[in-house]
Amino acid sequence: MITELKNIKKSFGSTDVLKGIDLTIEDGEFVAIVGPSGCGKTTLLKILAGFERPTSGELLMDDALMNRVPPEQRNISLVFQSFALWPHMKVKEQVAFPLKHHRFVSEAFKKQPDVRVEEMLSAMSMSHLADRYPHELSGGQKQRVAIARALSPAPALILMDEPLSSLDAKLRIELRYEIQKIHRQFKKAIVYVTHDQGEALAMADKIVVMNAGKIEQIGTPQEIYYYPETPFVADFVGKANLLEGTWDNDQFSPALSPNVSWHFPKVSTSFKQAGLCPLRPEQLKPTADNQHGIEVEIQNVQFQGREMIYTALANETQLTIVSDADTRIQIGERLLVGT
Amino acid sequence: MTHFSTQSNIKATQKSSALLISKKGLITLSSVLIFIFFIVPILRLVWQSFQYDGILSLKHYTTILSEPFTWNMLKNTAFIVVVSTILALVLGVTFAWIMAYTNFRGKKWIQIFIMLPFIIPSYIVTIAWTQFVKDLPITVNLYSLTGIAFLLGVSHFPLVYMFTVNVLKRIPKELEWAIRTSGGSRIKTFIVVTLPLSLPGIIGGGMIAFLSNLDNFGIPAFLGIPANITVLSTAIFQEVIGYGNNAFARAATLSVLLALIALIVTGLQWLLLRRSKVMETSYIDHTPRVDLGKWRSLVEIIVWALVLLFSIVPLISMLKTSFVKTYGVPLTLDTFTLYNYNFLLYDYNKVGDALQTSTILAIATAVICVVAGTIIAYMRIRKNTIFSKTLELIVAIPYTLPGMVLALAMILAWMQPIPGWNPGIYGSIWILLIAYVTRFMFLQVRGSSTAILQVSTDLEEAAHISGASVWAKWKAILLPLFLPGIISGSVLVILNTLTELTVSSLLWSSGAETIGVLIYNFEQAGYTTYSTAFSAIVLLYMSIFAGLLYGISAIIRRKRVSHDH
Repeated sequence: MITELKNIKKSFGSTDVLKGIDLTIEDGEFVAIVGPSGCGKTTLLKILAGFERPTSGELLMDDALMNRVPPEQRNISLVFQSFALWPHMKVKEQVAFPLKHHRFVSEAFKKQPDVRVEEMLSAMSMSHLADRYPHELSGGQKQRVAIARALSPAPALILMDEPLSSLDAKLRIELRYEIQKIHRQFKKAIVYVTHDQGEALAMADKIVVMNAGKIEQIGTPQEIYYYPETPFVADFVGKANLLEGTWDNDQFSPALSPNVSWHFPKVSTSFKQAGLCPLRPEQLKPTADNQHGIEVEIQNVQFQGREMIYTALANETQLTIVSDADTRIQIGERLLVGT
Repeated sequence: MTHFSTQSNIKATQKSSALLISKKGLITLSSVLIFIFFIVPILRLVWQSFQYDGILSLKHYTTILSEPFTWNMLKNTAFIVVVSTILALVLGVTFAWIMAYTNFRGKKWIQIFIMLPFIIPSYIVTIAWTQFVKDLPITVNLYSLTGIAFLLGVSHFPLVYMFTVNVLKRIPKELEWAIRTSGGSRIKTFIVVTLPLSLPGIIGGGMIAFLSNLDNFGIPAFLGIPANITVLSTAIFQEVIGYGNNAFARAATLSVLLALIALIVTGLQWLLLRRSKVMETSYIDHTPRVDLGKWRSLVEIIVWALVLLFSIVPLISMLKTSFVKTYGVPLTLDTFTLYNYNFLLYDYNKVGDALQTSTILAIATAVICVVAGTIIAYMRIRKNTIFSKTLELIVAIPYTLPGMVLALAMILAWMQPIPGWNPGIYGSIWILLIAYVTRFMFLQVRGSSTAILQVSTDLEEAAHISGASVWAKWKAILLPLFLPGIISGSVLVILNTLTELTVSSLLWSSGAETIGVLIYNFEQAGYTTYSTAFSAIVLLYMSIFAGLLYGISAIIRRKRVSHDH
């Protein structure tokens, strides 16, 4: 199933939450929507699910207009942030429920729901807990059940609303792997909403970066990370420093030390017009060459095991620099950094 | 696939427009019903109070307010309501603080006894106390203003307790610790944190106690009428049954006065509590915060003694009276007899009839309230439109209004709904059903709301996204989850209806006596041995009923909470 959003707008009263969204989700594609809270990503997901209706624009699923179709008549499923498991049903009943009710379940699954339930539970390594109630499960186990429930009717599109954000760090990594695995195994399109750019970079085929009700950039994880098109994307996804200066084609001279000149191919014109240069923390390195370095003073050091994070002040501008753990620079030290 | 989707899309649109039409029809229908049953009676009442010999006039107000009797009655009302509210506040807040914060033992058990004086109908509490004071070595006259105020306070302090105890438990311990670690003493903590943050609960409980004291008919009727002490609720009652000139109009005028006081207090409460919603979501902390230390045993003894005094000790005196044949004879092994019970249960038909009438009314009221109340609560919480907000407000009016006022409004509305046409509802059991449903609907709305609020919308959305239709969602997901809470709400409706007296005292007709009316009639006729025995039977009956319903709800709950561990 191909899902298309054409100039989707949504307002609540006088607040415009979505200001014209155009997006295509291909069959089997893993699309991550990232953005800060309040950027409209959850509203967009609710429109895809059918819990909200767009104010204007078109939502098409395989060319059929879906704007006013209620959720239960769409070929989709949804994994909730809060798991949303029904407290009075056993694990196997949760997974069987959509097989009984979903409109797009194949005859084979309907005839032998037990087989399908078992298949889903074993895909999520939950078979041994089939007779448990939700309150007898840990957070990670609950979300595994919720994912199995979403998968069981084999919908053409699975929506995931920050599914890992109520889990602890270790479980998040574990379930990331599980979600990637089931995407490869069942080849269903996934729309994955998150505010964690790490999750998006790790799992998605395509990342949609949203800000203030608009799409800032759509691209592969590599494109988004290495070649941000707007300062917002550079900051939000790459945690990049934005240095003021002047551009001469692909040559950038920071305003702090105009005699320095750096070569950056493929920087988006929006930065050049704004006189800004995105520099990811790991791009900046100590250098002895004053033709290629700007002077900074180290303000703070954080040891992170694998790496060191420095906060440095170049004149009035605060920069974040990441280096490997072997580099030792003291607080208060002044040095040249470049790329 | 494309073809199929388009088709289902069109079908969906058709279906939703059909739904829309029936939705509009439902809204219109329910608006009309609500208007007829909830609004019209009150309008009729107000209109009646301005009727003098068939013309619109303020005459009743000027006459009534110029009579010295009225002012004396208002003074009585003010005295008993204020004194009883203060008593309820002192008892309620003290018990709440001890139960919420100290390391008192056996809290679970004492909670039940604290609630008893509220659950037992106040007229039974009154009968019990009148028997109890006879057993005391000193003479206490309950048939007085202070006696009435005392019993009202005892019957309604559990309301203050209920409101306050949860608010106290919700005040985060950390806020108290913050004062202590900043150098504040325990007293400072109480003044700076506990008191201001618990004020919404105390005010809320105090206002409800005030309204209940104002509304109560049983206590001033049982104690005040023999002593010639009249308050607003008994004044309206006597006016109506007196059948004097312009009796209904005069009673309506008094009712408008009483309703105005009640509405002003409710408005005041709303104004004061409007801004205190913040705390409602914070977590309830059951762990003790104050160690009573060496005082613990003493506090426990005093609290238990008081609570038992207020809850069951008077009932023992009542039981004693019910076991003697002639009132006034002391209970000994020789005078002990089951005669009263035998007579009531086997020889006096009215008892069985009253139990049956009240039971049928209670069940019918509960069924109607469960269906309508749950729908109203669901709409109010999940849809939150102006329509649903108005609906909730309207349903709250008959509950807030004093029962006597509602009863009179019912008479006026149903005697001749259209001038010249009497459908025979007034004077039959039906008017009681209508009055009970309008009066107690709000209790069910509140009970169902609590149940609905505990089920997050995610669970509903998960059902829809799994393909469930509205019907399948209610059947498989919502009803099983709501049911225990809905049943708890209906227990309140059933117990209240079963032993209702205020509304029934005006609306009963011979052949359709309710439990409350029968006990009232026994008392009026001076059959104290019968009224005590019948009260005992009623209490037993109530506990069987409540036990049954709580049992059902516990079974439903257990089925889903504790499974193979």
